[in-house]
Amino acid sequence: MHCTSASLLRSALHITPCRTAAVVPPSFLLPAFALTQTSPFSSTAPASARKDHNRNRGVSALHRTGIGKKQHLSVKLEDLPKPVLDPKRRSDIEVDPDHGLYAFFPDGNEGDRIMTPEEYAAHGRGWRIQELRAKDWEDLWRLWWVCSKERNKIATLEMERKRLAGNGQMYGDVEAGTRDKQVRVTMRNIKVVLTERWYAWENARQAAMEDPEVDLSADPGKGEQAYLPGKGEGLLDNSSANEGITEPGQGLPPPVNALPMSEARA
Amino acid sequence: MATQAPFRLGRKELHLPNFLVILKYSSWLPANYASFIVPIWFSKLDLRDYLYHAYNVRVGPSIRSYVKQSRIQQGKGTRIIRPQYKRWHRPRATKHMTVELERPFVWPAEPADYTDWNKEEVKMASEQQEEFNESQGRAKDALAVSNEHRSKMREQAKALLEGKVQWRPSASKGGMGLRMYER
Repeated sequence: MHCTSASLLRSALHITPCRTAAVVPPSFLLPAFALTQTSPFSSTAPASARKDHNRNRGVSALHRTGIGKKQHLSVKLEDLPKPVLDPKRRSDIEVDPDHGLYAFFPDGNEGDRIMTPEEYAAHGRGWRIQELRAKDWEDLWRLWWVCSKERNKIATLEMERKRLAGNGQMYGDVEAGTRDKQVRVTMRNIKVVLTERWYAWENARQAAMEDPEVDLSADPGKGEQAYLPGKGEGLLDNSSANEGITEPGQGLPPPVNALPMSEARA
Repeated sequence: MATQAPFRLGRKELHLPNFLVILKYSSWLPANYASFIVPIWFSKLDLRDYLYHAYNVRVGPSIRSYVKQSRIQQGKGTRIIRPQYKRWHRPRATKHMTVELERPFVWPAEPADYTDWNKEEVKMASEQQEEFNESQGRAKDALAVSNEHRSKMREQAKALLEGKVQWRPSASKGGMGLRMYER
């Protein structure tokens, strides 16, 4: 039985009680009432569209149709250079001895590709917090970058070692792990020292804000004094209840800079 | 730090980098390309500036980048002590970037032999371990007797038949019951 949406809709529209809907269907149903189809079903372009007098029409390098009989190329097949398939016969590539990517390799130059377990194990301990406390920001910063690049190197060498040998087929896992751990110890201690300094700075700043003898808004570049001794003596005398106790730092001369340079940079 | 860069440098200040940039070997890449594994949040411009500042490597205009999803793995994660075989997880995706180098770079030669890494010994040990695990495992009864064991048993039987040795119950658990009253 032939059944279209138009026929179904027509019957449905006839029995509607509303008279106006039977006469004028809604606009979105209009395509269903079209009696003749204006466009063909196939989306292929008609044959006339292809007659554009192009000789290379349909010739494809990808689909291996080849060149046509009347086509002439500027290069003959015999003149084409042939690729060297054997890697041993290829000419060597000159690499700069100071190429930056050598920093990812053991010696930092054209030497070995991967490290032996003995070379991995040839290291000491990481830097300790006590040793790092004596360093300023520039030193800590340089040391951090050295550590970061060393970790890049270890990760690169480990990936290459596992690629060459297969995972767990060669020694070197443990040695690389212990080396990397010492580097991470150093980096962690650098962070500890920097955190300490930040708290020291913050505590000093808050103490200076409460201290009437310190003027934080003073600009030393313009010759203004940041430390004004004896400015708030009356306040101090009233507040200090225990006058018998002498502070150890009271006998010392006032510091030139309220904050050391290393902390100012950090 | 070089002051003059041939490109416009980024303004993201990075004082203490806490990530890994791994140079990755790719046999199919020509010498003027290099491939890296970078953090997942890295952009192409990040890698260009990082290589320029940290390694003094100038990178050509083209950088290709893709994110590689990891395969799912058995167990809850790599960091737990006891793997849980009924749970599955997917390790984090990794980002790979292939850069065009201004100066070509060839990787150093592979080691000629792997005696420093004890490759042969590790291989023998892992094979022996696997054999032992099989002999102790669930299917140990279904395993055929090894050729070495067979030849030794044949020698033993021959010696017994020729009267060279006298059979005695072994000192293992099976033999203990027979001789326990003689002590």
